[in-house]
Amino acid sequence: MDPRSMSNPWQEIRRLQREMEHFLGDFTPGWRWPLTGEYPPVNVTRDDKGITLEALCPGVDRQSFEITVVGDTATVRGERKAEPAVAEERYHRRERQLGAFTRSVCVDEGLDPDQTQATYTNGILRVWLARAPEAMPKKITIQS
Amino acid sequence: MATLATTTPASTQRDMAERATRTITPRVDIYENDKAYVLLADMPGVGSDGLDVVAEGDELVIRGRVNHSTTPPDYQEFELADYYRSFTLTEDLDTAGIAARLRDGVLRVEIPKSPRIQPKKIPVHAE
Repeated sequence: MDPRSMSNPWQEIRRLQREMEHFLGDFTPGWRWPLTGEYPPVNVTRDDKGITLEALCPGVDRQSFEITVVGDTATVRGERKAEPAVAEERYHRRERQLGAFTRSVCVDEGLDPDQTQATYTNGILRVWLARAPEAMPKKITIQS
Repeated sequence: MATLATTTPASTQRDMAERATRTITPRVDIYENDKAYVLLADMPGVGSDGLDVVAEGDELVIRGRVNHSTTPPDYQEFELADYYRSFTLTEDLDTAGIAARLRDGVLRVEIPKSPRIQPKKIPVHAE
């Protein structure tokens, strides 16, 4: 077994799931829901300046978004509401998940909550997280 | 009765070609009201310039193209891919009147019922 898979078994299972889907074709509707059952699925990208968290959550009521940053953890809350005034019996198909969600992501680095920025475009929430000054890489000058 | 079924054997061949490049089948809700069928499809990552909604004959096809990110994330739970799904339209639907709208990654397609199957209120005259 690949030693990397031991560090994150969920990621390994997702990789296997992707391979299975590649062979079997796409017969399941929807994107790859995380097997952890957490919603929304997130991607995390790090660069020199900070950390970008992307959450796949289409159709969320913008007013319901709430983003909080405490220590090394960012939490996203939101709600996806059903179409107003449609009786249950008028639905022919219901595949989309609705309701309120909370997702916390620990990035293992101290964050500066005041510098957090967020955008919501085409159903993808992008949260830009700044490292706390003490977590920024420091250049050490070697003294002779 | 009017229905909006998913996938049709007639389009299987075209489906195969479409799927040569990997696509995601978007999750949908379908409901009806007195005047129309409404289809809601989750297509996060698709902008209005990347969206195609085509009604041809008895088939409604929705396609969405996404901009693929060039840098792979450090931690990944989702991967964007183009979307594709087709539906069979029955003749009780008015395909000329189809209207589509995309908002925050959710496509909303409204397909009017043909006037002859819309419920008609019959006035009752008291004597």
